Amino acid sequence: MQTFYSLLKKIIRAGIGRARYWMAYIGLGVAMLLIFIAIQVHSNFNQLLHKPENKNESADFLVINKTITNANSRNVEKNAFTQSELDDLQKQPFVESFGYMTPSQFKVQAYPPVDLQFSTAMFFEAVPDTFIDVKNDEWKWAVGDRALPIVLPNSMLNMYNFGFALSQNLPQISQETVSALPIRIVIYNDFGQEEFVGRIVGFSDRISSILVPQSFMNWANKKYAPGLQPTASRIIIKTKDPGDPKLVSYLEDHGFSTDNDKLKDSRLRMIVQIIVSVIGFFGLVLLLFAVLVFSMFIQLIIAACKKEINLLVTLGTKPSQLKRYLMRQFVPMYVLIGVITLVVISGIQYFVYTLLLKQHLFVSPLPGLYTWLAAAAILLLLYIVNSSTIRKYIYKP
Amino acid sequence: MQISLHQLVPIPLKEKVLQQTSGIWNQAVTFTPGQWVKIKAPSGTGKTTLIHYLYNTRYDYTGDIHIDQKPWPAYNPTELANIRQSQVSVIFQDLRLFDQLTALENIELKNIMQGQAYYSREKIEDMAAQLQVTHILQQSAATLSYGERQRIAIIRALVQPFSWLMMDEPFSHLDENNTRRAAKLIAEECTARKAGFILTDLDDDTHFPYTAHYQL
Repeated sequence: MQTFYSLLKKIIRAGIGRARYWMAYIGLGVAMLLIFIAIQVHSNFNQLLHKPENKNESADFLVINKTITNANSRNVEKNAFTQSELDDLQKQPFVESFGYMTPSQFKVQAYPPVDLQFSTAMFFEAVPDTFIDVKNDEWKWAVGDRALPIVLPNSMLNMYNFGFALSQNLPQISQETVSALPIRIVIYNDFGQEEFVGRIVGFSDRISSILVPQSFMNWANKKYAPGLQPTASRIIIKTKDPGDPKLVSYLEDHGFSTDNDKLKDSRLRMIVQIIVSVIGFFGLVLLLFAVLVFSMFIQLIIAACKKEINLLVTLGTKPSQLKRYLMRQFVPMYVLIGVITLVVISGIQYFVYTLLLKQHLFVSPLPGLYTWLAAAAILLLLYIVNSSTIRKYIYKP
Repeated sequence: MQISLHQLVPIPLKEKVLQQTSGIWNQAVTFTPGQWVKIKAPSGTGKTTLIHYLYNTRYDYTGDIHIDQKPWPAYNPTELANIRQSQVSVIFQDLRLFDQLTALENIELKNIMQGQAYYSREKIEDMAAQLQVTHILQQSAATLSYGERQRIAIIRALVQPFSWLMMDEPFSHLDENNTRRAAKLIAEECTARKAGFILTDLDDDTHFPYTAHYQL
């Protein structure tokens, strides 16, 4: 026996305009896929940046100073951080820990171990031990010690070996040689002088400055410049993610500068974010049109079958019966589209997962939570639009 | 279900109606449950209009029609549909079959509108046999003659529960023999349901033992 709905199907030909019908569904599918891709790219990128498996180092260090410009180059005070600036920086979410780089407030002269009739003026800086990437038993100093451990930047030895030594016909020296050489260090100012035996105990990639232990610096500054507060003109921060665009824009906004190379991630990420936003935007626009076409499509069907629908109502068909019938014409179709696009995005995501696995990069093999939520939200939106359009035209007396 | 009319006047026929005396227009009339009402009306006095008012498919009138003490406009679309599915049935003068469906499907549509079939297939075929339309049940409604369509419309009106049946010249295209058969079937079905009907026609007739007569 025939059901009521199979009779309705004969009366209300929902299939009118097949081509438009399919175009609307294909448009909807593409729109959903674009939105899912945008969400997935975003989530994959985040996973690549933040997932512990994808990190060589759990944190990165940045040395920050104020940008020296022609306007402020003669003003040491202006180039130092004020207390409020430091407090504010410390409060930022991307700053994990934070330390001062203390400059020496005395003069330093260094002599080679044997008397070669030359010496060089130098400077020292000190940072808290936790920020130094050279861990060494010799890296300590106490009042009274004659030996002074020193950490040099790696780049400095490179500059000597590949720049200076070659041009001056001097021998190139290895890290071991440098470490073996005791250097005569004289610190002095108008009040007096003192001599130490400097020894290079390590080379730092992280901080490009000549470092001595903080304990030595505190003692020497106190002794040679007793009244003077050391100015905080350079600081070092530990951050989880030097590519964090928030960090970069914070530094830019405040006129701070740092090692730009470490921040290049951020530019890359901004480009990815723009691309993702553009894809997402097109997806949304397409979705909007698909929804619009849908509601017009429903209106078209109802308008084309106005006479039949009126007669059905006259004979006693309930608005809810008509609505249910019309919903049945649409809901299974867009649920199917949603399922298909989810399957496609899952396939793409799995492909990306295997591809990245070969590069030892890890993303999840399945689409993320937000993709599922977006799918649910889009289907819900369609259902609401669908239902309210039908309601609007059917319940109208 | 009680139907009462209060000073009912169709707006398009207002002047004409107010000039003449009518048993229905601009009167207070009550149709009590189970009444078999004949309304005799010459052409152009608004007989089809009245049926449409009673069935609530036209609203261009002054005065009001109360269904169980409640005026028609107070019923919402769902309540109205419920009434049409289980309380009031109708045979329109213009029949109103779906041309897309076969004769049988037109009947079935009403038969299963409430979710489950009201009458069995055998019962419907039996009714069709009584009205001598068995052979056209599988034909598209579009191909039927007016008389055949009229008989299908009559059967369609009978395959649902009702306490009132509205009929607008239901036998206009039937010969004497078929009219008799149709009237017999309608009388049986109304009796079985203890239902009343309101029938409008041009002339006097003796198809039914009417309990009330009105002149429109």
